[in-house]
Amino acid sequence: MVKLRARCLLVGDAAVGKSALSQMFHSDGTLFQKNYSMTTGVELQMKCVRIPDTNDSVELYIIDSAGRETFVEACEKMWGRPSLVCLVFDLTSEQSFTSCSHWMERVRAHSEGLHVPGVLVGNKSDLSARREVQASVAQEWAQSQGLEYFETSAKEMENCDAPLLSLARAFHSLYHERLEAIQNLQSPG
Amino acid sequence: MIDSALSPLGAKVVLAASSDENHPPESIIDGNPDTFWVSTGMFPQEFIIGFAEPTKIAAVTVDCYNVKHLKIEKNTSDNASHFEPVTEKEFEQTEGHLQSSAISLNGTSATHLRFIITSGYDHFVSVHRVSVES
Repeated sequence: MVKLRARCLLVGDAAVGKSALSQMFHSDGTLFQKNYSMTTGVELQMKCVRIPDTNDSVELYIIDSAGRETFVEACEKMWGRPSLVCLVFDLTSEQSFTSCSHWMERVRAHSEGLHVPGVLVGNKSDLSARREVQASVAQEWAQSQGLEYFETSAKEMENCDAPLLSLARAFHSLYHERLEAIQNLQSPG
Repeated sequence: MIDSALSPLGAKVVLAASSDENHPPESIIDGNPDTFWVSTGMFPQEFIIGFAEPTKIAAVTVDCYNVKHLKIEKNTSDNASHFEPVTEKEFEQTEGHLQSSAISLNGTSATHLRFIITSGYDHFVSVHRVSVES
């Protein structure tokens, strides 16, 4: 049995629903904040995710970081070195999807050359009439970035667990890969 | 005199910031570089070795993997309550074999040594052996 700990950056443009998702993660899908309140700094949530079919779990320290440009620079100082990234955009805003590559660049600048597993989340899937980003386009871009793609609706509490579980699984398998590498090391004698 | 295995001498790992039950912190002081303690994510990481009695330490040798920066602190009282900095060490990255470094402590006396790994070359780091030259 092992409990892993991962620093998970939650990033993306302002008002795409990062904090709503974060609340959803934290409350196991019972709390949807109906009024918008802009995150101006960084908020930390801890969520423990069990890895199915094992006794292992991953504690995700979710760093919900302001998306609004004015605040980003100050927030970046709190990012530290991320273990995981959860990049969110709004399915009804092409612009928020376009910004994703910029967000990835920022995250990479903090990763010190390390591979950081992550997910791309298209949120607000309930607003299907206003959709501006096609799933296939998002999926393709996610793949090119090595991210797994999910669509969620924090409002309808749809599919919100999936990205979390994917993040936890990715970190868990990274751990086991690294353990194996360590076990195969040559000792200094 | 170099004691590669500290545990038979009554030393104990009294704290470790991570735990995987397959790789317990005791692996650090069993003298065997094939067994190891591994961190389970995020930095800093730390462990504290307590000695059976106040010990004068000329140097410690640390065998580890993917450690980037290590700080060593000491405590001279019985209850591990007040630590003061002793030294810091920047490790080179290695591939396929362990990092190994002898770190001079100039004969300082201590009841506990605290090892703080402030950063690593990967998400996870391992410590295989700490031996003490007294």
